[in-house]
Amino acid sequence: MKVKALSRSQSSTTRSTIHDIRPTHKNLDPAAHPQARAREYTRAVTAAKLDRMFAQPFLGELKGGHVDAVTCLAVCRTNLCPVVTGCVDGTIRIWDLQNRKLVMNLEAHSRCVSGVVFGNQGGRVYSCGEEGIIKAWSIYPSSGLDRNEEEEDDESDDDDGYGKKPRARKTIVKSKTSIDESSSPYGPHNIYRLPTSSRGNQYNSNSNYAFHSIDHHWSESKLVSASSNAAVHIWDTERTTPISTFNNLWGSDDTVTTVRYNPAERELVAHCSNDRGIGLHDTRSSSALQKTIMAMKCNCLEWNPMEPYMFVVGNEDYNAYTFDMRKLSRPTGMFKGHVGAVMSVAWSPTGTEFVTGSYDKTIRIFSVRKEGGTASHSGYNSTGVSRDVYHTKRMQRVFCVGYTLDHKYILSGSDDTNVRLWKARSSEKIGQLSAREEASLQYRNALVQKYVHLPEVKRISKGRRVPKFVKKETAQAMVQKDKRKRKEENVINHSKPGTKKFTDEKAKAIVKTVD
Amino acid sequence: MSSSSSSPSSQRHQAPMKKKQKKMATEFTRGKSHAELLSQRSSLRDEIRTLPSNERSHVLAHLYGSGASKDLSKARLDNLRQFDANDRIGGGGGDTRVKSSLHKRQSRPNSALQRQIHRRETKRLQNAISAADVQDILAPSTSGYVETENDMEKTLQLSQNQLKYDGTSLSSNVAQNIYHLDLKDHGPYMLRYDRSGRHALLAGRGNNGGGHLAIVDQHTLASTTEFFIQDIVRDACFLQDSSLMAVSQRQNVYIYDENGAEVHRLGGHQLVTGMEFLPYHWLLATIGTNGVLQYQDTSTGELVSQHRTKLGPCCGGAFRQNPFNSVIHVGHSNGTVTLWSPSSSEYLVKMLCHKGSPITSLAMDRSGRYMATGGSDSKVKIFDLRMYKEIHTYTTYGGPPTALDISQTGVLGIGHGCHTTFWKAEALSMKVKEPYMKHQFSGNGPMESLRFRPYEDAVGVGHAGGVSSIVIPGSGEPNLDSMEHFTNPYADKKQRREAEVRSLLEKLSPDMISLDPDGVGGVEGGSLIQRAQRSRDAAEDAEARREAEREKAGSVREKKRMRGRSKIAKKLRRKQQNVVDENILKLRELREREKAEKEASRKSGGGGGDSGEGDEEEVAPAALKRFF
Repeated sequence: MKVKALSRSQSSTTRSTIHDIRPTHKNLDPAAHPQARAREYTRAVTAAKLDRMFAQPFLGELKGGHVDAVTCLAVCRTNLCPVVTGCVDGTIRIWDLQNRKLVMNLEAHSRCVSGVVFGNQGGRVYSCGEEGIIKAWSIYPSSGLDRNEEEEDDESDDDDGYGKKPRARKTIVKSKTSIDESSSPYGPHNIYRLPTSSRGNQYNSNSNYAFHSIDHHWSESKLVSASSNAAVHIWDTERTTPISTFNNLWGSDDTVTTVRYNPAERELVAHCSNDRGIGLHDTRSSSALQKTIMAMKCNCLEWNPMEPYMFVVGNEDYNAYTFDMRKLSRPTGMFKGHVGAVMSVAWSPTGTEFVTGSYDKTIRIFSVRKEGGTASHSGYNSTGVSRDVYHTKRMQRVFCVGYTLDHKYILSGSDDTNVRLWKARSSEKIGQLSAREEASLQYRNALVQKYVHLPEVKRISKGRRVPKFVKKETAQAMVQKDKRKRKEENVINHSKPGTKKFTDEKAKAIVKTVD
Repeated sequence: MSSSSSSPSSQRHQAPMKKKQKKMATEFTRGKSHAELLSQRSSLRDEIRTLPSNERSHVLAHLYGSGASKDLSKARLDNLRQFDANDRIGGGGGDTRVKSSLHKRQSRPNSALQRQIHRRETKRLQNAISAADVQDILAPSTSGYVETENDMEKTLQLSQNQLKYDGTSLSSNVAQNIYHLDLKDHGPYMLRYDRSGRHALLAGRGNNGGGHLAIVDQHTLASTTEFFIQDIVRDACFLQDSSLMAVSQRQNVYIYDENGAEVHRLGGHQLVTGMEFLPYHWLLATIGTNGVLQYQDTSTGELVSQHRTKLGPCCGGAFRQNPFNSVIHVGHSNGTVTLWSPSSSEYLVKMLCHKGSPITSLAMDRSGRYMATGGSDSKVKIFDLRMYKEIHTYTTYGGPPTALDISQTGVLGIGHGCHTTFWKAEALSMKVKEPYMKHQFSGNGPMESLRFRPYEDAVGVGHAGGVSSIVIPGSGEPNLDSMEHFTNPYADKKQRREAEVRSLLEKLSPDMISLDPDGVGGVEGGSLIQRAQRSRDAAEDAEARREAEREKAGSVREKKRMRGRSKIAKKLRRKQQNVVDENILKLRELREREKAEKEASRKSGGGGGDSGEGDEEEVAPAALKRFF
């Protein structure tokens, strides 16, 4: 008779020394794992809870802040650390993100700073104010003799910004002690004005034509600005007067509020104007390309950095809309959730999501497409619902937002004079993950994704606590929406068949298109 | 997938090729058109259909989960379909406007969704096939066996003496599993293993004298804990691992730790004869001579629910959990078996198993398909738990079955009189002529308990003369799993600690216990209208039942006017009360606290009021309070 009974060798079950890895075994037989589904579901609920437990997006404010509302914010195009903000009181401040500290406070303008923008080459910043002046600054201080050299360096070599960073910080400390009011080492290096109007003196003409927005070209040293005389000006950074001016682009006198250069098309500019329009314009020709009039005014516009045919606008009707520039007659996406006008918007450098700051004192993050396997939030479809909403008790109306180049942090400037730093993914751990941490994180994310349709998991992972005001307003908006829908249904049901049709929400946002 | 139809041995040689296939499986559906997916899906289905039956069952187990769940869900689906078909014929009243709009939605198929479903389904099929393949590769250990060399030999003839002392057949570390501990003073003894099979709990009832409890490490065969108590021991079991054990004594249930120190006394559990620990829910289920089934959460300490079975006392051997779905099976003295879950105060299923003779023992296999019941009519009946039908019967000679167990591989062990008889795994699904092995403990009967040791080919038997262990080759699961908590017999201290935390994090809620354990997260079949109709009907049914009950209660109250404990209203309230609701408890606590606070504030307010002359109006004398 042949007999065999189970006998496990020592080496297959226990490790020989404590430095060894413990032997692991896997039994794939489903019978060995009773109630696997219920256990997996419980694990998913725990994973969702853990994700929310770790969600602490607010990192802190930038110390040494403004004394009045922050109106505009610019993130450097080539370097991770420098950030510049502009204030209602006419000052601009340069910040170092790594240390979260103020580098320099500059008395830039006599009235509100309406826009700041970084140049392509290291260290150049342009600010425009409502008194009608554009000024050029440098975030790296230059003193006496070597200022000219540095300027030349900046213009000749693109990569200088990175290399200079450590040296620059040293000089910052030095210059702080010996700051000279009249000739600040940070500039202004250049001052740009509109030419004197034939009607009045220089001061008056400038005050009449306040600047509302400024943007820098993505490859050339050119600026575009929007001023209150319904004109868009193109500037060469070497010249103090505009190289071209576009008045009356679509036959309307309304003020252009935002202008943005397309990142890919060298001559394409998009802008929003006070007549509720969004328009595209080729700077080589004097005529405009296309314009669409929306139901309400747009406050801000940004081009998608990765898919430059796409841009997003933040609207007064509390929504953000994405457009394909080839077809302005209908927005490609509609992003809801705010209960106040969207004041500013910023794309993540990956082009997959954007952040909006609103008059309702919150920041929302929207995904425009499914995003696979990032740290904490994986795979939200573009449903038009925000992925996350950030708010604090003290944050007031948010006027400007920014996304850092490493796709990890968000900046917001608000009415309460503070510039705040947030994590882009609220429960992400900052810093390097160990392999085990990473693996378990991925597993937890996969679990949440698998069971997100079940009510418990959905409630935990998607629910967000919002301020009372926002909650109340949202509930009210739902009621209003239902009412409108019911009314539309009634109108259709009670009118002659075929005369009235449903129009979807996206179509309702557009009034007409002008070519 | 052609290789999956070849024998397991050849598969092992093809392992590298398999790995390549696995890699392909993950990117199986990427970049395929819809038509390609459909053809792929049908080809995969054909492939599964044409597999040899044992491999097909492997694949299906991965596809639908093991055991009864597939059949259960299938039966449920069939029921629903039938229901829906009736609905279609009947027309059904309902809200026609809602219906028409739903129809409109239904008539426009969501093609993107359909494509996604097909993609998922194809992926699932492919994953099931590759998981079945990987199972063969990753689980190389094969279970033990006894093979006869000619027709004249029979496995039944193989004795434990032969196994132990014939040096060629077993290695020394397996042969040490054959032992007998002669413990006549505190008997009869029962024996239980923890989930890993590392430790055995010996409990001597101590009919004359006192009880005896001991934990024996099965690897070293040394007792780690041993103590005597001045009380009888009715039953004992380990909790989550060998560090805690529950012991039911004359009156109450006590919990001891591994040093023999008393940790808790569970006063609510009276005269307990049977205990089971549900490892995934951390529940201790007990039943006593009064027939009350109680569930106690051992992690939080609260009583989850108690149900009156109303079927009299239950003996310890006839109280077992079904490892497949954690449903408790209780065998009663009138020959019925009832199935219980904590969330329902009525039994889920009641089966008449042994007509006219008490149930003495019960056992369920781990796939949840088969239940073996032993009655005092000397019969062991095998039931199919998918249909709740008897399949076949074995008769025991030499005494009625008093202890039953089914091993991880499906070997059926029966203790009857002073004998133990073992049947091969096939004996569950079909009638087998003769047993696989047997062993006799002359003069030590009846068998008090019989338990297969997990992950080893050993059986522990407790009887009047002490405790014995014998070797039954082929009874233990050969493959361990490190990811299942508390099942690794070789776990060190750190691993045990880790397991405790993790399994507490994964603790299942008590109301997840149901007959179909895979119901969670499933999708209800039928269209939108049918589902809406179904939920409406369910609500109506429940309302009607409640109405009927109310009427019935009302009529009964008019007929019989009883006072005190047996009043109908109180009886009904008790019925409601036996499910312990966490929220109600919390509310009650809150109310009490508020009351106390009010009391305190009243007192302090009364004391402070005397000092001030100005607020005379507010602090009127207590007697005048009713006028305010």
